[in-house]
Amino acid sequence: MPNTTLQSRQEQTSIYLEIEQSVKETAQEVSGILFISCAGGPSYMETQVRGILESQPGLTYKIWNGEEPGSLFILLPGQTLDAVHFQGLLLKQRLQEIIADFDPRMTLASFPEQGELTQQVLIQMEDSVKDHASGEIHIFTREEVRASRSRILIVEGDATVREFLEIRLQMQGYETAVADNGLSALDLMESWKPDLVLTELNLYGIDGLPYIHHIQQLDVAQVPKIVVLTEQRVEQTISMCFQNGVDDYITKPFSPVELDARIRRCIH
Amino acid sequence: MQQSEGITLLRDILLIYGLFATYYVMTVNVVYFSIMAFSFRNIMTIFRRAAYSKFNTLSGSELVPSISLLVPAYNEEVTVIENVKCLLTLNYPTYEVIVINDGSSDDTLGVLRREFGLEPLPNPEMRNSIDCQTINSVYYNPQYPHLYVIDKPNGGKADSLNAGINLSHYPLISSIDADSLLEKDALIRMARMYMENPEETVAIGGDVRIANGCVIENGAVKEISLPRKMWPMFQAVEYLKAFLGGRIGWSHINGLIIVSGAFGLFRKDYVIAVGGYRGGYPGEDMNIIIKLHRYMLENKLKYRIAFCPEAVCWTQAPDTYRILSNQRKRWGRGNLKNMIENYDMAFNPKYKVMGLLTMPYNIIFEALNPYFKITGLLALIGYTMLDMTHWRVLAVFWLVNFLSGYLLSIGALLLEELAFKRFKKLSDLVRMMFYSAIKFFGYAQLGGLWRIQGHIQYLRNNNSWGTMTRQSWQEKSDTAKSA
Amino acid sequence: MDSHLTLAIYFVYFCLGLIGIGMLSLFWFRIRSNRMEKKQELYLQKHQDYFKFIQTHLNGASDLPLPPGKLTKLERRVIQNKLIEWIEQFKGEIRDKLVKLCQDAGFVSEDIKLLDSLFYGRRISAAYRLGGMRAAEAVPRMLIMLEKQRYSPLTIVIARAIAKSAERGDQLKEMLHHLLRHGKPIHNMAADILMETGLDSSRLLLKLLEDENPDLVKVALVAMWGQAVPEVVPALDRLVGTGEKDVRAEAVKLYLSSNPVLKDDTIRELMADSDWEVRAAVAKSLGNTHAAGSIPLLRTALQDSNWRVRSNSAESLAKLGETGFEVLCQIAKNGSGIEREAALHQVEKAMLEEGEHQKLDQMVAYNKKKLLYERYFGVSESKPVRQVAAVGGDYTA
Repeated sequence: MPNTTLQSRQEQTSIYLEIEQSVKETAQEVSGILFISCAGGPSYMETQVRGILESQPGLTYKIWNGEEPGSLFILLPGQTLDAVHFQGLLLKQRLQEIIADFDPRMTLASFPEQGELTQQVLIQMEDSVKDHASGEIHIFTREEVRASRSRILIVEGDATVREFLEIRLQMQGYETAVADNGLSALDLMESWKPDLVLTELNLYGIDGLPYIHHIQQLDVAQVPKIVVLTEQRVEQTISMCFQNGVDDYITKPFSPVELDARIRRCIH
Repeated sequence: MQQSEGITLLRDILLIYGLFATYYVMTVNVVYFSIMAFSFRNIMTIFRRAAYSKFNTLSGSELVPSISLLVPAYNEEVTVIENVKCLLTLNYPTYEVIVINDGSSDDTLGVLRREFGLEPLPNPEMRNSIDCQTINSVYYNPQYPHLYVIDKPNGGKADSLNAGINLSHYPLISSIDADSLLEKDALIRMARMYMENPEETVAIGGDVRIANGCVIENGAVKEISLPRKMWPMFQAVEYLKAFLGGRIGWSHINGLIIVSGAFGLFRKDYVIAVGGYRGGYPGEDMNIIIKLHRYMLENKLKYRIAFCPEAVCWTQAPDTYRILSNQRKRWGRGNLKNMIENYDMAFNPKYKVMGLLTMPYNIIFEALNPYFKITGLLALIGYTMLDMTHWRVLAVFWLVNFLSGYLLSIGALLLEELAFKRFKKLSDLVRMMFYSAIKFFGYAQLGGLWRIQGHIQYLRNNNSWGTMTRQSWQEKSDTAKSA
Repeated sequence: MDSHLTLAIYFVYFCLGLIGIGMLSLFWFRIRSNRMEKKQELYLQKHQDYFKFIQTHLNGASDLPLPPGKLTKLERRVIQNKLIEWIEQFKGEIRDKLVKLCQDAGFVSEDIKLLDSLFYGRRISAAYRLGGMRAAEAVPRMLIMLEKQRYSPLTIVIARAIAKSAERGDQLKEMLHHLLRHGKPIHNMAADILMETGLDSSRLLLKLLEDENPDLVKVALVAMWGQAVPEVVPALDRLVGTGEKDVRAEAVKLYLSSNPVLKDDTIRELMADSDWEVRAAVAKSLGNTHAAGSIPLLRTALQDSNWRVRSNSAESLAKLGETGFEVLCQIAKNGSGIEREAALHQVEKAMLEEGEHQKLDQMVAYNKKKLLYERYFGVSESKPVRQVAAVGGDYTA
């Protein structure tokens, strides 16, 4: 048995090399890669995927088999990350139309947007699908990047804003955790030890100013930086916040680009 | 022969009185239907203004008037912390919370001081705009800049509110019961209503709902559900009818006679102008509104007393017979006192809607209601006893009573469904329908009885507040979860 | 006799009929809205991947698309509502991009059509959503709607939608005209609505200050709170002398918040103003300007009939160095009535701040005050004089 595993490993390696080669050979500056795994899906899936890709005029693509049966690497030359992501959406939607209750797992990436394409990266892409229990479409991040990330705790009562901040900060390469009320946020600050807390002032559980004060009194080695993102625009509150050691104060509605910059400034 | 003539006469008298009572009930309900018709007219506007107002700009703006929340607390050591915490996290730009410890015999003050690290203020600046008892001291902690606690000797709820007014720093005041939880948006919703017409609005009432059975977490209602016990369930349907069916309509014609003491917003300058809250009797919440009506009408000022059903306050309803009956007797006593004090307003055209509609309605159809209903019933029972062949008259009397009341309940449920949709489960709807119906087999009669007992207490000068035991919110939500 | 009974019986039938109808519609509403909610939930879940896609690529160069595949009417509404939620939270180019998506997807044109619907409810909800989508092309139509609208809470919904979407200053001005024509003093609300605009607000406010309609001037003044706009100071200077009572109070407050240098005559005039808000604002600002010459004025103001003026004056005195503090101590010791109350409170407050001075100069200033305090009240009396002022006839609140 070990022999066959070894053999398949070797075969697989040659596929990785082939993919790498194809990426280098394309005349395009960017190329997208989409990895799709349909463990337990029907065998005719590959034909379906080809059919869907074929139906879009002007789209070029190449397909290889992944290590696991039923998994595919799709190379989309000339596609930036958002275009690859949209292809992912489209594939998923069409596949689900054809096969009800079908839950394909996807990881996608675009190069050189996400660094250099190596065999290691392809293996990581394949593995990342296994880590994610949910059927969400996943955007690839490098493991090396992941290790050195700063931690940001997002505290926000509004689910929409919370989700947005989480996605956005993860895209920037930060490690994130979320809390929807002041009390669980304080707990998380003690146990998870974030480098920075991005927080609304108006939370369930605890009043804004005492909450800021509590953060300063936390029993941790390093008190996290505090960036407030809130609807509260009363001048007096803002100045009290700064007096209590808040590092930055941003009012809603906010510009996400500006928020990125301010967070970067606080962390470095 | 003579005897049978006597009986015939008696029968006729009984029948005529019984018919009179039937007509009385029908009239009450027709008036109530018209009021409810106004509620229906307004309900879609209410739904839309609630659905299409986001408070993301207002709730952080300097332009919103500042509010002082006054929280009288008497023996509330179990619930007061949770409530104050809830009040401190409202979605509102500038406000302060003033808790008034009304000489509690338990450790209300102590738990507050420990929880928030409060210290006495050396020279509290009390403005003596209204007479009230001398206070002991004011407690404060700069770390909780929006919280003040007044400690004073026992003097009743009204006196506590007056003391709170004297300390308050802001132009609007809001009275809140210490056993109630406000929804996060409740205050900003009221303020929005106030800002729509700031000059004329003198008071705004909030919607009071029964929290028994709801899951409460972090001082907020997480999951809305109907009470499981019988007494709170009756009250839940009763409140729904009174607030949605009645108050929306009354406020439309500016004839609102009461803003619930559990949650209301007032202009401080006018409250001071009418001399603050009246002590000594329960029913101070109705009293202040009558006084405001009187003051504004006598001074020929344009005004409105509004009702804001989308601003919700969740309250703990009494869940035993004893406490409930005490509460209702107290209400009966307070109402009677208010009616007697202000009888001159009734039928006086000078007082407009208030004089021609609200006051007469409240005297004839609310205060005297149980007497007419009970005597009417007795008369018809007597009449039927004398001649069993006329049982139909009795049946019709009872049916009129039941069906018209039930129709009003169904109307209130419809209003709820149109505007708020708070109860999602079909089973909740069925339960509310069921309880609205069986309310008329016992509970409604008890209500009348309690009111009469309250009146008797008033006449006998018995003026105790009665007891109310509290259960902590934590325990409540535990039991709610386990059930 | 029977006729009475017949009437009552008809009444019973009438009630029965209505109860039946009511119960049926209750069930019908409940079941319908439950089904609707379930469907919405389903769509939200179905498009979770799409929502994530949008949020990930908001920064990208290319336009955002709708999700692939056919969408039902309710599905489109669910997506639209989600987009509006984001638009409300963001500003800058990211918001513009979402707005563009709403236009490309046809959400805007659909809702503009609904503005002419026969049903009032649909018109209002369309206006609300158009505001959410910052639909500039809908503004003229919504202005007409606002003009026809009777004053109600929904007037404000429409006005807000216009403020959010307007692309020109004159549209905002027209909106304010319609909003304020009902004669209600809703300047704060109007200012809040006005500031929802995406246009450059400082230029707009400057223009409003020049307007001849005092209502518009007042809205501009109110809106300026919390926004430091140095260009407007000259305009404020002019308004300080205006006859409109409300406008003057607002203008004075704003003007003083820019910490201007005031002439002594002007100060004296303003301190004698009939409007307490003006006096209070001036008293407050005198503490910040560190003009020792204003001590006599503040001293007199401790007897003002208004509480706020007294309190501000005492606070300012405490800020004016030793001389100012000594005046306070004198009055707290020897004065009487309301004057003493204000002074006493302030003196105690200043003494309480003991622990809070970390900087050296602050410590020095504090210690000087403490010496003065001990001179007047003695060292032994280090326990604060705890007393509550007697019942008085002060009816200002």
